[in-house]
Amino acid sequence: MLIDVKNLYKIYNEGQESEVRALDGVSLEIDYGEFVAIIGASGSGKSTLMNILGCLDIPTYGDYHLDGVDVTALSDRQLAHIRNKKIGFIFQGFNLIPALNAWENVELPLIYQGVSMFRRAERVEEALERVNLADRARHKPTEMSGGQQQRVAIARAIATHPPIIMADEPTGALDSRTGKHVLEILHGLHDEGSTIILITHDNSIAATAQRVVRISDGRIVYDGDREGAGL
Amino acid sequence: MNLSQAFKIAAKSIAAKKGRSALTMLGVIIGLAAVIILVSYAQGQNEQMRAYYESLGTNVINIEASGPNSKSISDALYDYCLELDDLVLGVTPQIQMYNQTVVKYGAKTLDSYQSNWEESPQVVMGNQQYSLCNNYTIAKGRDLAYLDVENYSQVCVLGHKMAEMLFNYADPIGKTITINGYPFEVVGVFAQQDPQNMTGKDRNILVPYTMTRVLNSSNSWSAFVAKAKDGPSTNRAITLLDGFLKGLVGESGYYYVQTPNQWQEQGDEQIKMQQRFLGGIAAISLAVGGIGIMNIMLVTVTERTREIGIRKAIGAERRSIIAQFLIEACMICGIGGLFGIAVGYIGTLIVGKASFNLILFPSPGITAGAFLISVALGIGFGLYPAIKASGLQPVVALRAE
Ligand SMILES: Nc1ncnc2c1ncn2[C@@H]1O[C@H](COP(=O)(O)OP(=O)(O)OP(=O)(O)O)[C@@H](O)[C@H]1O
Ligand SMILES: [Mg+2]
Repeated sequence: MLIDVKNLYKIYNEGQESEVRALDGVSLEIDYGEFVAIIGASGSGKSTLMNILGCLDIPTYGDYHLDGVDVTALSDRQLAHIRNKKIGFIFQGFNLIPALNAWENVELPLIYQGVSMFRRAERVEEALERVNLADRARHKPTEMSGGQQQRVAIARAIATHPPIIMADEPTGALDSRTGKHVLEILHGLHDEGSTIILITHDNSIAATAQRVVRISDGRIVYDGDREGAGL
Repeated sequence: MNLSQAFKIAAKSIAAKKGRSALTMLGVIIGLAAVIILVSYAQGQNEQMRAYYESLGTNVINIEASGPNSKSISDALYDYCLELDDLVLGVTPQIQMYNQTVVKYGAKTLDSYQSNWEESPQVVMGNQQYSLCNNYTIAKGRDLAYLDVENYSQVCVLGHKMAEMLFNYADPIGKTITINGYPFEVVGVFAQQDPQNMTGKDRNILVPYTMTRVLNSSNSWSAFVAKAKDGPSTNRAITLLDGFLKGLVGESGYYYVQTPNQWQEQGDEQIKMQQRFLGGIAAISLAVGGIGIMNIMLVTVTERTREIGIRKAIGAERRSIIAQFLIEACMICGIGGLFGIAVGYIGTLIVGKASFNLILFPSPGITAGAFLISVALGIGFGLYPAIKASGLQPVVALRAE
């Protein structure tokens, strides 16, 4: 099992009046090579779950095994290595470094990985071409549209060829044509063997996934194929 | 992630944030240059003051006395001073010529009524201990001798500037000048005492005091300078002289015994005060510079925290983030610090030339201290958010506002 999560809780302000149970006992297994869509209303806990799966956040309680490794027992440094090598994370809000241009943003995870300059140039070019942005390589995020920024963020996530790609609403800010293009990229990566976990509001996008997980108030209320989800 | 990568990332980050980097650098430059210039200025002022007080001489006693019979007072006083030889190293009459003084050598004429103050010649009269009592040393030729005084020799010793003005670097020894028409042979030249030309000591022409008959209308002399062995001897000699003179001049007479030592003590006090003031100035300008540096660094904390969140999210280790920010801060503050020193030195040279007419150099200690403090401030404030933010969970850092 690639991802094995049991009884995961994320509770903000625990014990206080303002307590929020963003995740309220989530158990989930995802196998190598799956394409999973996570859906649910706004505020239901989708991003919270994804951040924990992406090792960007820690659960309040619960177990998380990634590729057989107990993630909750890892050091900060080991987590950094997992984020760097195993996971390509695409954020809801792009999260590019504003001072760096597209090329430099995409190059960054490769530098942290210690890839040689020559190999980096290859990988960056390949990733930018994949998202159709080779001609915008020297532009800074502020000089690009939302869709272009999102594609830079995707290029950054795929540049290291990670086995898992997690995308938090990668099409939310895009028009339907660009959104479709982004979805095609993700399906292409899936066809090449990557495991894809995708959060979306858009039922037509969720309908392209093999497996759909619906979350409501921090709990999984449906986990199965797309037909059963009513899509 | 190795060191060269950390350098690469830091250099990229500096280049990408040119505006902020330049502002930070400017903060360091201004802070550092201000400290260096202000402290150097105050030091220059101190130096000048110290030189002035030193030129007044130490353990010198000025004595004046007059009464119905000045000639006998002088003789008695002079003899008394000689008796105090366990306290007093030397004593000399000290007479200045106040009437018009015209000094000639060849075609060169210096006239105390015509020349401006900086070039006016001043004839002083004393004995073979004049130079000892007035802190002069001989640069060329010889000093006045006992026999010059005894024999009414028409010889003179020139002050440094006087020799320069009359002889223009030619050797004056053995040449004959005239003072108010009377010929005097130059036997020696004093070493320079007063480069700033503040006291006029280098414009003096010393002749034997027995020449008063020739040069002055009156030959009553009643001012002396004595040189005591040390501070306590000075005070003791003053007490003794005071008692002696009181009896000597009688009810109707006048006398005066003083040492410029007390001036000097005043000067030392003033120098100490200025040094305290200087320390204050240094502290304030460092604080101002430091606050500037701190401001620029802290204003960008949110931005930095987000950036650190992003870097962590894509797999940067904590130590490589800290290394990046440390290198960034070191490069910016180090370069800013070097520029700050350069600006400080140039500013000090300009200020020194303009206000003291001196080639003024900042002291290396102050320079190094100010450099270290401002660079440490810059690095500290640059690193603080990095250390804090890099310990956060990536999502928490990304949420920074
Ligand atoms: N730092 C926090 N402190 C308190 N509550 C939080 C915090 N972060 C998230 N929450 C709460 O946790 C719940 C789940 O948030 P989450 O971001 O996971 O929702 P989401 O399903 O991704 O929503 P959306 O579709 O709008 O992105 C929300 O109710 C939110 O208010
Ligand atoms: Mg969300």
